Amino acid sequence: MAQGVIKKEDLYRLLSTAAGKKKVYAPIDGVGGIEFAEIHEQKEITLDYSNSKLSPKSIFFPQREVLCTFADDALEEVQTPKEALIVFGIRPCDALSLTYLDKVFSDSAGRFKDPYYLKRRENAVIISLACKEPRATCFCTSVGGSPSGKEGADILVYELADKLLFESCSDRGQDFMKTASVLFKQAEEDHKTAAKEQAEKAKDGMPVLNLNGLKERVDKVFEDPLWDEITRNCLGCGACTYLCPTCHCFDITDEENRKGEGYRIRTWDSCQYPLFTLHASGHNPRVNKKQRMRQRIMHKYSYTVDNYGDIFCVGCGRCILYCPVNLDIRDMLNTLNKL
Amino acid sequence: MENPYIPYPVSIDAITIENDAKDLKTFKLTFDREEDLKAFTYMPGQFAEMSVFGKGESPFGIASSPTEEGYLLFTVKRTGTVTKELHNSEPGRKIGVRGPLGNTFPWDRMVGKNIVIVSGGFAFTTLRSAITYMLCKEQRSKFGSITTVYGARDPGELMYKDILKSWEANTNIDLTLTVDRAPDNGWHGRVGLVPNVLKEVNPSSENSIALVCGPPIMIRFTIPVLLELGFNKDDIIISLENRMKCGIGKCGRCNVGSKYVCIDGPVFTYAELEHLPAEY
Repeated sequence: MAQGVIKKEDLYRLLSTAAGKKKVYAPIDGVGGIEFAEIHEQKEITLDYSNSKLSPKSIFFPQREVLCTFADDALEEVQTPKEALIVFGIRPCDALSLTYLDKVFSDSAGRFKDPYYLKRRENAVIISLACKEPRATCFCTSVGGSPSGKEGADILVYELADKLLFESCSDRGQDFMKTASVLFKQAEEDHKTAAKEQAEKAKDGMPVLNLNGLKERVDKVFEDPLWDEITRNCLGCGACTYLCPTCHCFDITDEENRKGEGYRIRTWDSCQYPLFTLHASGHNPRVNKKQRMRQRIMHKYSYTVDNYGDIFCVGCGRCILYCPVNLDIRDMLNTLNKL
Repeated sequence: MENPYIPYPVSIDAITIENDAKDLKTFKLTFDREEDLKAFTYMPGQFAEMSVFGKGESPFGIASSPTEEGYLLFTVKRTGTVTKELHNSEPGRKIGVRGPLGNTFPWDRMVGKNIVIVSGGFAFTTLRSAITYMLCKEQRSKFGSITTVYGARDPGELMYKDILKSWEANTNIDLTLTVDRAPDNGWHGRVGLVPNVLKEVNPSSENSIALVCGPPIMIRFTIPVLLELGFNKDDIIISLENRMKCGIGKCGRCNVGSKYVCIDGPVFTYAELEHLPAEY
């Protein structure tokens, strides 16, 4: 493990030096809140945030992506993305979520690899930023994460008073730090102590949800009328699924102009919409919002455990923070687990 | 498959109208590139995505059998954007095929068994594939008796009429055709719903496996009949349909519980389905 300290104001210099030809993504104070964007100078970067509004999944799995193009009845493949990225400032929960998306898009049996997502992931360095103060909606420690978790990160950075402490957690991260080694100062004992204390404090401040036995429980109560009750207020807007860092459902559609030229694109889709599962015959296996919200919860807390061995929730709390009718997934889980 | 989202280029070689309502057409497709034909190895029960560029793609069961070499058959009902465009196409048009996708009927387990086939409506496609496969000279001796009950709303809605005629004359298969309602003249088959006719045909469950494809309502009423006939839950094989996009287990919509119809199915045993939610 490599460690090193830089001054906050030297962050862009460090990232751009180590980047070479890679593009640098970092959190900026955007129009709709904190977002990740390609940056070109230090002053664009903000460190004053608890988390980005949209999850950084869109860097690797964009909301709209061209799969291939066509003209008349002939198809042309597009090149899979070649650009290499350095992504700074992802929170540990979102870094963890990338390891889950990796499982979906790489397929354990290796039969169907998604070249678009995987190409971007292969070429990326993830530098995540440990949380100092979790939000009231955060619950990462209840779902296997931590405010200073390293999973999914190549480097974990701790924000200290006017400095940043870098700690590599993968070979790729170590190589990155080596490339820019002249810019790092040695990490002193008090830096490390401060980082450790900060991590402990962030962890201790978070309420713990007891999700023991949740999977077995939700598997058993699939038909329980309680699902009607806990989903009654849901508007079916799907905001939770768009904001969720592990939601990965998509649609594939064609768009063409009058000359018959166009694209086949994939766009984010949501299990909360009735059209998502509507058969051509008119039959719909998930016809009401109870069934659709149940699908969302079962998918995250049961089906992915069967298929990938993980709960596909990292406790980022976005779905709680931005739900227009204040549905709280923690309450739903608590209620289900007590059934 | 290097990029599993990219279809093989194929050409529509011939189009056959299958029913009186003319909303079912069978498309015979040939591969534009020899190497794609070789790469597309499949077994009955699998499906593929047919693509019309600019309109989209949709999944269809493969109606041809791997023993029918050099081409693929798909029977398509006209319902939406892609299928309407296909129905409006002429032979010679270039389209795309992506696959083969999904699992197959359990061929390893079917060897040495009597095969009972139960089907209704236009879900008969992959069973056309299965029967054609089993009836071919090299395969027939591997299976016991083949008993088939196939039904449609009325005689004009039965598909593959020529092939059905040849099967009726073929002693290697016991074919019973039925319709929900028959016109006054000219119908020599049975009249009645598939589950009821299956009961009348009364196939033995001894050393037998049943393949069931049809609309959800037919499947629901057929299963109790098969159980009553003494079939094990493991030996009732059902092919499911759900809305799909990617066909490769990623886009998230065709799941039934933790199983994806596109990669874990479309073929399931009743024993498996019994433990899954009825979201299909």
